[in-house]
Amino acid sequence: MALEQKPPDLEIGPPITGLEGSDDEPIIAITEPLWRIRLRLLWRSFKKNWGLFAENRIGLVGLFVIAIFAVMAIAHPILMATAWGGDNREIYDPVIGYDAVVKEFTVVEEVTDPLSEIELIDARFTNINAQVGDVIEQPQQPASPSSRHLLGTDPLGRDVLSQLMFSTRAAFFLGMVAALVTVFIATTVGSIAAFFRGFVDAFLMRVADLILLMPLIPILIVIGGFWTIELWQLGVIIGILNGFGGVAIVLRSQALAVSVKPFVDAARVAGGSRWHLIFRHVIPNVLPLSFLYMMFGVTEAISLEAILSFFGLLNVEMSWGLMISIAQAEGYLLRGLDVWWLLFPAGLAVTFLAAAFFLVGRAMDEVVNPRLRKR
Amino acid sequence: MTEARVEVKDLEKRYPVQKSVFRSAKDFIHAVDGINFRIDPGESLGLVGESGCGKTTTGRMLVKLLEVTGGEVLLQDSGEVIDISHITDKDDLKRFRSDVQMIFQDPFESMNPRRTVYDTIAEPLTVQRIGTVPDREAKVAELLNLVGLTPAESFMFRFPHELSGGQRQRVAIARALIVDPTFVVADEPTSMLDVSIRISVMDLMLKLADRLNVSYLYITHDLAVARYMCDRIAVMYLGKIVELADTEDLLGHPMHPYTRALLSAVPVPDPSYQRPPVEIKGGISKSINPEPRCRFYDRCPIAREDICGVQDHPPLEEKAPNHWVACYLVDKQPA
Amino acid sequence: MTTPLVEDSTGGLKTGDTLLEVDNLIMRYKTKQGYVSAVEDVSFVLHKGEALGLVGESGCGKTSVALSLLRLQADNGEILGGEIRLGGKDLVPISEDEMRRHRWNDVSMVFQGAMNSWNPVYRVGDQIKEALDLHWPERLNRAETRQRIGDLFALVGLDSDAQDRYPHEFSGGMRQRAVIAMALSCNPQVIIADEPTTALDVIVQDQILKELKKIQADLNMSIIYISHDIAVIAEVTDRTGVMYAGKMVEFGDTGDIFSAPRHPYAWLLLSSTPSIVGPRRKLAPLEGEPPNLLDPPSGCRFNPRCPFATDQCRVEEPPLRDIGDDHQVACWNYEQVPVGITSGSVV
Repeated sequence: MALEQKPPDLEIGPPITGLEGSDDEPIIAITEPLWRIRLRLLWRSFKKNWGLFAENRIGLVGLFVIAIFAVMAIAHPILMATAWGGDNREIYDPVIGYDAVVKEFTVVEEVTDPLSEIELIDARFTNINAQVGDVIEQPQQPASPSSRHLLGTDPLGRDVLSQLMFSTRAAFFLGMVAALVTVFIATTVGSIAAFFRGFVDAFLMRVADLILLMPLIPILIVIGGFWTIELWQLGVIIGILNGFGGVAIVLRSQALAVSVKPFVDAARVAGGSRWHLIFRHVIPNVLPLSFLYMMFGVTEAISLEAILSFFGLLNVEMSWGLMISIAQAEGYLLRGLDVWWLLFPAGLAVTFLAAAFFLVGRAMDEVVNPRLRKR
Repeated sequence: MTEARVEVKDLEKRYPVQKSVFRSAKDFIHAVDGINFRIDPGESLGLVGESGCGKTTTGRMLVKLLEVTGGEVLLQDSGEVIDISHITDKDDLKRFRSDVQMIFQDPFESMNPRRTVYDTIAEPLTVQRIGTVPDREAKVAELLNLVGLTPAESFMFRFPHELSGGQRQRVAIARALIVDPTFVVADEPTSMLDVSIRISVMDLMLKLADRLNVSYLYITHDLAVARYMCDRIAVMYLGKIVELADTEDLLGHPMHPYTRALLSAVPVPDPSYQRPPVEIKGGISKSINPEPRCRFYDRCPIAREDICGVQDHPPLEEKAPNHWVACYLVDKQPA
Repeated sequence: MTTPLVEDSTGGLKTGDTLLEVDNLIMRYKTKQGYVSAVEDVSFVLHKGEALGLVGESGCGKTSVALSLLRLQADNGEILGGEIRLGGKDLVPISEDEMRRHRWNDVSMVFQGAMNSWNPVYRVGDQIKEALDLHWPERLNRAETRQRIGDLFALVGLDSDAQDRYPHEFSGGMRQRAVIAMALSCNPQVIIADEPTTALDVIVQDQILKELKKIQADLNMSIIYISHDIAVIAEVTDRTGVMYAGKMVEFGDTGDIFSAPRHPYAWLLLSSTPSIVGPRRKLAPLEGEPPNLLDPPSGCRFNPRCPFATDQCRVEEPPLRDIGDDHQVACWNYEQVPVGITSGSVV
């Protein structure tokens, strides 16, 4: 029988009296506001998880490497404002800076040592009267490391160290955008699929299968062929493809395990709506795993950025991939180790930062997944 | 006769056994197959039976965790009667959620590991938007005192893993009682607890039922526990109630052959006690499209082919005062 | 064939002879926070043909005792003292290789939850065959293996041909019977049954317990039952040990312990167990929680929860001492414990 009139507003019932122990027990007054208590609890659980994380050396190494890069990223604008700023800006700006280091070269017929010899034809651009055997002064780019340019200059005469530090920001930015988008999409899609099951689940998972089947790099190359991708767009694209694909499938299975737990039923009996159940019970228990995949997502995004910049498909001022790309365009890629500062700083930065996030992810895996924990 | 707080009429739950995605199901599992009972205010009814008999399904239907496929469940709500199986109105649902609560079996799994005791207990208030935050805090503290978790402020912001099994089950009881329900379904609330803790939790539930005038549907496989907790006991077998009587009457004078077998199989903590032999044949059968005869026919030691094998499952009849039995072969006793 | 397929595993002993002696066994688990004293100074004797029960709540060390007997405790568990003598031979110092020969052949175990650990993709018979291949003294050919498994199945009340079926085709009771058949496969002298009926319904539980009793009588087997269910222990055992927090607190004839427990814990445990027979009575709750075994209380481990505790109990640990009739109690004040368990008022 449906009720005709509106039920009265529900109120908290009167205190239950007449029970031993409850009469003289004063109803406690909580002296602190709830948010302060929650903050303290959060801090405590962070400390506990940090303890677990710190047990793992690999994770600490990863964190240390990330910290170094973070310092580099922060230091760059500071340097640009101080030591590299003012008049020096023209020299040290990572994009428009230019510094031709003048150096003495011996004019030869055939170059054997490009750092001290110059071919006759090239020498005549500087001095029309140059002869073989002369020593002429010639601005050098790329220039090898010196006290002025700790990591030398690139083929266009720009400071490599400045470029390297400047690009760190782009790497972090891209990694974060990609990872956040991945986690947001994967957690939502996975939890919703697991919670509603049936048609919703089947539909979302088939979409995930389709996305999983798409080869990421060729697709990005094709997209890049049509229009220039901005860095944040790349982050979003990687996030969507990653988040809706493999990660969503993994998180769905975790969410499936959570959503059949009795505490979800208990919340349902308490009167919780579907969204309450999903956002308060399912997602919080899936999130630790999400963060884990977020770390792996950063790794992937950084590597992808390098690949795309290398192909010149990304609209970015400066990045590690672009640094290598420029070296390649000027013909220095396969020249060997004599121009190492053009390849190693950027190449190693990509490798180290990507690896560092991966290692942190591995260590987090042990915190999140007690079965992997050492006793 | 007073008004029943909960009245269950021909309650039924059938699950389709899907053979193919494109064909609608022809076979059904009759998990609960037309059961009737009533629970009075302040009364505790025990629902006992072996695993798979449909007792948990029944409990979950009464709290709307499962859809009812047939019959009705009538709930007394301050003078009005709501059919909870057909609630469409949002306000009715809200009232239902504060009238009927549930205590779950597993104290380790029935609390979200990432939420504090306060969050867990206050959840019904939070999601139903009852009271202000200070009101809720006071109410949670009061309930923590009530269930014996004192001092309340030291328990309020603990996480489930910081509590023992018994303490968790006390939290579960507090959560169920915070909205002042009139009817609580308790699904094996003590079966995961150690003996020594079990009694204090059962005592707590009894005490609260008495003081708050709560009715329980107490689901258990343990007849000894049911005897301690319940005023009346209903015995279920393959989706049917086969016997329903006052606790001591049922244990002292079981009439249905299944109840008798069940009772004689319960071990007794007294080495000198000799149990009667367990008279039952074979193992439990499936409840997919049951044959039109007594559900217990295959296993019954006294079944007669000409009576039990040819007629539909016997109806639950009052064979003695307040003693209901579903068996053709049990004679009606004079009052 | 030299070994009969199903034999009376007397091992040259007569009923009532001492078969297994456990002396002052100490087993602790090493954890980051320190040692967890899981089994502390536990001693008992198992006779030939006897059913012995170890009863206590979860975490009391009863399963740890069983695992120590087979030296199968978890990797971080160490036997730090005591002797486990099987037919006079101490099993504690022997090598792992030698121990492996005793496992299954002399002492076998029905593990808790084993009925749910059958591998779903192999036939039940093939999984028992694996145990036979590993432990049976001589190599059996196909027909002999089939014959033996068939005999074992008949012994536990299963159809001999059921060995060709897969675990999912078995009901819970049948799976547990097959587990028992597997434990019997190498004619052990002792079977340790850890919670053998816990997940089963009462009617099936009754059948399994009857089957175990019958096997015990037919083969003159010794069985150690481990259970938290006092009623089960009361039904099937001859003698009972009550454990609390890693210690044996009371040991004696099952009838004596159940009619007049002398240790306060045993008394409270029995007083708080509901039953379907006898008068309906108010049960006495046991207040408090079991102690943390990383740092057990000083003196008697039960003293914080004990209604009879005195200053002595808080300082001095009571030894397990004889109080006559093969009845031992570890309590300073056992005389104060009321006789009989029908305490409290009748409701």
